[in-house]
Amino acid sequence: MEVKPTGQSKAGDWKNFQRVLLPPVKDLHKLEVYEAEGGYQTFRDALSTAKWTPPAVTEEVQQSVLRGRGGAGFPCGLKWTFMPPVDENVPRFLCCNADESEPGTFKDRQLMEYNPHLVFEGILLACYAMSIKTAYIYVRGEFADWITHMEAELEKVYAKGYVGQNILGSEFSTEIVIHKGAGAYICGEESSLMDSLEGKRAYPRVKPPFPAQKGIWGYPTTINNVETLACVPLILRYGGEWFSQIGAERHPGPVLYGISGHVNRPGVYEYPTGMLITDLIEQVAGGMRNGKKLKAVVPGGSSTPILTAAMIDGVTMDAETLRDAGSMMGTGGMLIMDEDTDIVAWLRRVTHFYHHESCGQCTPCREGTGWLENIVSRIEEGEGNIRDLDLLVDLCSQMEGRTVCALADAAAWPVRYTIERFREEFEARCRPSLVPGAEVMETVE
Amino acid sequence: MAKITIDKTIFEFEGDQPSLLQFCLDREIELPHFCYHPAMSAPANCRQCLVEIGNPERDRETGQIMVDEEGNEVIRFFPKLMTSCSENISDGLVVRTQRSSDLVRRAQKDNLEFLLINHPLDCPICDQAGHCPLQNQAYKYGPEGSRFEFRKVSKPKHIRLGPRVVLDAERCINCTRCTRFTSEISKSHQLTIVERSVKNYPMTPPGIEFDEPYSMNVIDICPVGALTSEDFRFKARVWEMSSTPSITTTNAKGSNCYYWVKDNRVLKITPRTNMNVNEFWLADDDRLDYERFNDDRPPGPTVDGEASSWEDGYARAAHILGNVDGNRIAFLGSAHASVEDNYLLARLAEKLGTAAPMYIEHVEVGSGDDWLRTDDRAPNASGCARLGFTVADADLFGPRLKGGEIDVLYVLEDDPVSTGLCTSDDLHGVSVILHHYNESNQTLPLATVSLPAATVVETVGTFVNIDGHAQRVRPAKAIRGVNRTLAMEIGRSRADQHGTPFDRWYNEENLINCQPGWVSVPGVANALGLDMPTTNPKAIMAELASTNSAFEGATYSAMGEYGIRLSEIGETV
Amino acid sequence: MTNFIKDPVVMMAERNPDPVFSNDELVFSDQEKRLIERWKSQYPTVDGAIMRVLWLAQEKFGFLPPEVIRLTADEVGIPYANAYGVATFYTQYYKKKRGKHVLDVCTCFSCQVCGGYDILHYLESKLGIHVGETTDDGLFTLQEVECLGACGSAPMLQVTNGRYVMDLTHERVDALIDTLRKGKTPEFTSVTLPQDEDELGGNRRSDVKEFQASSPRPVSETVR
Repeated sequence: MEVKPTGQSKAGDWKNFQRVLLPPVKDLHKLEVYEAEGGYQTFRDALSTAKWTPPAVTEEVQQSVLRGRGGAGFPCGLKWTFMPPVDENVPRFLCCNADESEPGTFKDRQLMEYNPHLVFEGILLACYAMSIKTAYIYVRGEFADWITHMEAELEKVYAKGYVGQNILGSEFSTEIVIHKGAGAYICGEESSLMDSLEGKRAYPRVKPPFPAQKGIWGYPTTINNVETLACVPLILRYGGEWFSQIGAERHPGPVLYGISGHVNRPGVYEYPTGMLITDLIEQVAGGMRNGKKLKAVVPGGSSTPILTAAMIDGVTMDAETLRDAGSMMGTGGMLIMDEDTDIVAWLRRVTHFYHHESCGQCTPCREGTGWLENIVSRIEEGEGNIRDLDLLVDLCSQMEGRTVCALADAAAWPVRYTIERFREEFEARCRPSLVPGAEVMETVE
Repeated sequence: MAKITIDKTIFEFEGDQPSLLQFCLDREIELPHFCYHPAMSAPANCRQCLVEIGNPERDRETGQIMVDEEGNEVIRFFPKLMTSCSENISDGLVVRTQRSSDLVRRAQKDNLEFLLINHPLDCPICDQAGHCPLQNQAYKYGPEGSRFEFRKVSKPKHIRLGPRVVLDAERCINCTRCTRFTSEISKSHQLTIVERSVKNYPMTPPGIEFDEPYSMNVIDICPVGALTSEDFRFKARVWEMSSTPSITTTNAKGSNCYYWVKDNRVLKITPRTNMNVNEFWLADDDRLDYERFNDDRPPGPTVDGEASSWEDGYARAAHILGNVDGNRIAFLGSAHASVEDNYLLARLAEKLGTAAPMYIEHVEVGSGDDWLRTDDRAPNASGCARLGFTVADADLFGPRLKGGEIDVLYVLEDDPVSTGLCTSDDLHGVSVILHHYNESNQTLPLATVSLPAATVVETVGTFVNIDGHAQRVRPAKAIRGVNRTLAMEIGRSRADQHGTPFDRWYNEENLINCQPGWVSVPGVANALGLDMPTTNPKAIMAELASTNSAFEGATYSAMGEYGIRLSEIGETV
Repeated sequence: MTNFIKDPVVMMAERNPDPVFSNDELVFSDQEKRLIERWKSQYPTVDGAIMRVLWLAQEKFGFLPPEVIRLTADEVGIPYANAYGVATFYTQYYKKKRGKHVLDVCTCFSCQVCGGYDILHYLESKLGIHVGETTDDGLFTLQEVECLGACGSAPMLQVTNGRYVMDLTHERVDALIDTLRKGKTPEFTSVTLPQDEDELGGNRRSDVKEFQASSPRPVSETVR
């Protein structure tokens, strides 16, 4: 059932929002600056204060209603509770997912560039909460420069004694290892990320078992997105209650909106969740380029269903509202397209992406993604038939929910919804239908 | 007892269970699948075995299973279809397969459509056709046509992965059974999937030959015709051959196999599952050990190097044996021959007052491994030992011959010259009676009487493997002449009767003029006027099973298709 | 332009190619070996280190012919086939020799609608090669790649798996090619957060070259 959007921003007084993930501090990426700004104090407190037992940290994160920022929006604290009880003989792992590869998404890279220590501190707190002794940061290989930067900062953190054995004289020990990917979108999917870490071809795994039961090397593992982990120190510092009051009620917190496409000021913006899309375009990102009209918005990365200009009225950026509006929050990486955009060509390029990035493991995705690209490509070239549109939708149904991981769904949704929402444009590119009788109808018109 | 409902039928179970797919297969509930193999991990990548899975809904407060107005349990089904190969069985599970669910039927059909879009339509020239899981399942569960109107992806074809396995990557459906075999089972690690997306296919890394001694297993487990046998390619269609369950004889493991026969020639050998012996696998040596059944076979019996009739051969052998003192005869049994043949030889020796036969050991140290290939290159040394035969010692045997202690050497289905037990010179002046399989037998030129013997694919008999597992062999192809026992067995052992005299395509080509030991040894005995009451192999084993503790219980019916494990010699039961 | 949809042919890598590197060359230095040992110690089993070691080998040898992949496998202690499977799965590992500078132009998603293809075609005509090809002088290889995660700075490209060059215009492409021809590496540029421009008056990082995003967004002339 579609709920009529209220048309109200849920971001409150967003214009006066004080950034917390990327606070306006010069050179915050340097350890000394981060510390001077109170960095790592939360972690010190967690280690030294009786109040902050590991379960209490998890409890606080649950209180905050922090939802994963990697795309699926799963409650972070709840995910942490899935870890089995500590068994000293069984290693357990944290993995920070910095494989940011979803087209339209570029916020984690900025966070790692400008506030890496917040990420490190979040990782340390998560490790502390779940009694984890090794954390991997899986960074996509393309982010070579940012890996270099982070490794340099990480060395300083090691030297400072925030990471390693018996951290700050406590019982708690943990290591952080940066793992460099090498070019594969699928590694952002948590189970193939685990295979990749293990030095294998990155094939997603069947779930269940879930990572908390059987993760990296078969051991209990929790995987969180960069931005999600960066929220953790803030939650402990200011309180879960504080966090839960920011933005949309059921999807609260500060969030990094990555706005790209035909706006005047694209980039990463930190605001509360629940911003009106129209506010983000017009007031935040400087409006449409050259005064053009808005055509479409993809709200959270390439796999989230496209919204037409007409559909975004009163829609806010939070999971529930976007779901009701017919899309998803995804990663918050928004693509804004203006009236001149060739939506057929755009969809063809999206289908090419999924065809290229399918890991090839399971049938519907390996075969279906190529078939989709073939058909959309034919339509783009004016060689398609009207019936191709129905075939495309049919193929989407054959792919959705039938594969090991969600890549097939991610590939199918853009096709399904772009055709549904821009059908006339596709029809206009197609040859007349070959269905008997259809041509007669056209003649009558 | 725990229960699970599959298509409205309730199955009870206890204890640990395999995956849902295997649970169904074990109960002859067919579920289409490609990537799943019971011996390997289940990546669930083919997506063909999708089913609906549900659990009884429980009241949140009371924990009681909820029931509807008619008293039936309320089942909550998972929103997505699940792969049965990766699904564990739990009490109360409710499963809907293609038999009862439109959703499942549709999903299976859709998946087959995807599998076929890039699969070549070359079934007419594909070795796999006729026993191809993809072909069969596409017929049974697939769509009627294809809606794919684009060029299929071209991939490397007829690539020789190694000396014995050929790849056609276009036919590959990426089930990864082959790569899982080399990484999980044989651990040769010679194969990997290369590239990614629809471009991927299995391959050796550059510079590596897929030459491990078990490489051909990937041919059987390949659910399509992507991996075929270099040796067998294009030789025969599956429906032109008969297959007979039996065992291989290149070594002492006694791996279970099928012999595939066309026009009375064995064309290939494939594994037969026996969890107590070889599980699902077969060594390449075993698979390629068939030419000796077809070629290099003797035309018939000889006497003094001249062709003769069987009667003349028996008569001459009897004449030789009857005219010497029993202690001047040496009998050699055979680790290649069946227990039955060796037993009859022992009876003959006994009647002639000769010492029990010895046998030649065929151990080649280092030729085996700790899996399906043993250092012992003969199939029945255990059977000989259990009959009380001792190993013939070359250091003693040759000198005895040379020293003139022996006038007659009686050899059952072996070759003392080529094995080095004695030299041609040693046999100077010795009368040799030889039952042999092949023309190239190096003792044959020295034989006074030669009696061609039926090989393992032409006879009925029992072999005991290195672990004491007693197994029957059955005739896979006919021999020249009529033998009621063989005719009966050949009819029984081949469900299809293909190539048997009862088949309309039966032909007389390539029939070998030979006799099983249990025909020819009594033939000699009879010519000697000796009474050998039990000459039927089944009766021999019945007798041994009840009189000789080393073969206790080893009757034909007990051995059946999979054999029985005999107790250790000397072990009391 | 190579189009897999139009010409869906998967070429097989040569099965027994002549080695590019001699056995004398196929060694890691002691320092590199120490690094490899450290990576191996960072995972529960040594397998986890293979990706890092492949990277190291690619930096050392320029690309990954089979003998180099085999060297990495031996050094890590995993089967060669596994290392080869991994190397062919990930696109950033060069299985074939590339030009000295590889220009990975993003044409995906945001970059497509902001002129990624214009940049790609401009580079094609500027360098006189098609996408996927290398210039005769061996200096440049041009590739079309998927989203590189710099969508706010579209169109953009990456130079040889390293530096990002963002907010491309023809002029910036010209400057980049000049820089590379001179044997220099383009400087790391930090794309300023719009909010920092407002609140901090510019880029927050004082240690890197700052770069103000261009405005407004370019218009894409071509979409394929």
